[in-house]
Amino acid sequence: MQRLGDFKLPHFFNYPPYFTLQPIRETREKQVQLWKELILDYCRTQKIFVIGLEEEFPLFSNPVIERSLSHEAKEAFLSALVSEGRAEWMDRGHKRCLILWLRIQDWADCILRFAKDNGLEDTVMTVEEIRSGIESRGTELHGMDRTVLMRALKLLEQKGKVAIFKGASTDDEGVKFSL
Amino acid sequence: MRRRPGIGGLQTAAAARDQYRLLGENVTKLRTDIMKEQLTTFRTQLEEFARKHKNDIRKNPAFRSQFHEMCAKVGVDPLASNKGFWAELLGIGDFYYELGVQIVDICLETRSENGGLINLQELCSRLRQRRKAARESVSEDDCLRAINKLKVLGGGYEVISVGKKKLVRSVPTELNKDHNEILELAQAQGYVTVEEVERQLSWSSGRVTDCLETLLKEGLAMIDDGHKDRKRRYWFPCVSSIHTSVGAEAVKS
Repeated sequence: MQRLGDFKLPHFFNYPPYFTLQPIRETREKQVQLWKELILDYCRTQKIFVIGLEEEFPLFSNPVIERSLSHEAKEAFLSALVSEGRAEWMDRGHKRCLILWLRIQDWADCILRFAKDNGLEDTVMTVEEIRSGIESRGTELHGMDRTVLMRALKLLEQKGKVAIFKGASTDDEGVKFSL
Repeated sequence: MRRRPGIGGLQTAAAARDQYRLLGENVTKLRTDIMKEQLTTFRTQLEEFARKHKNDIRKNPAFRSQFHEMCAKVGVDPLASNKGFWAELLGIGDFYYELGVQIVDICLETRSENGGLINLQELCSRLRQRRKAARESVSEDDCLRAINKLKVLGGGYEVISVGKKKLVRSVPTELNKDHNEILELAQAQGYVTVEEVERQLSWSSGRVTDCLETLLKEGLAMIDDGHKDRKRRYWFPCVSSIHTSVGAEAVKS
């Protein structure tokens, strides 16, 4: 089986027609389903949050069988993820796509769990610390996309679980957990 | 012989007829008895054979197929009923029912990939994978027998031969001769192009497109426009599945 780094590629990745959008509805549905799973899986394991449609992306071409996805196909697969709430277009032109292998709600739960596990109740952290600090090392939060993190924090703020404020001394925003 | 008229003569004749009838009955009874005895012996022998080779029958696919052949010759169908002594003795009915259920399962599972037509070989290997725990090996012959039993259910399960390969059909699609010929052609590379079909089968382009369109609509074919030569390829997952063809084309070139 073919691999991309440490990622095990599924069988269909080597079957050329899966790189052409299928015209028949049922066949296309199956095709879209397989690609959706592959994209989410890959992004989860590789911690990828943003896919640029005009940039090189290892999943979108397979040199072994000399096939690559057309722009139309990429957009179709990502749109399918968007319609399920597992991705979001970042611009009107659909050039960049934010991949949510965890939904914002799930990320929010992750943050809460992290705060509880580390005894961070009533503690203040900066956003940057959550993303790359020592505490989050080894957790899913480590290295996460800032946009996604902010969205999850905003959601928690709405629920009164955290307070976000602008720090006086630093440029970064601070987060106070109040669990 | 001199004619003997009178009541005495008639009585003698009647008595003789009775005697003959009695004798005849005796002979028939004797024959039936012998026949019955032979049948019992045969049945015991067959039972004994089955009991003795129970494990071989269950474990060894080649032996099983020979056993089936032997049973067929003497007009016994061990699969005819699950209640018969065969089933109790060998559990052989259960074996095929189980196989049948698993075959239906696999066919349903892969239908969206292959349009309801699956290579017998692939079906078998998937069956084996699924039955790893059971440890009894399954041959193609077993698959065919199990599918044969599925026919009764009327789900359209059938085995069709295309070229050298056997395909198992799980949807009631009508495949005509043209479709079959294209599938046969596709076996070489896993795909065909319109030009290839035109050339190899000497068909008009209309006939080719028409046929390919149908196969596409039935979900049996997938298009591939990604090749350098810009020629559309029609791939058939039922003859070269996504699990077996690892970039067949790339390997060749």
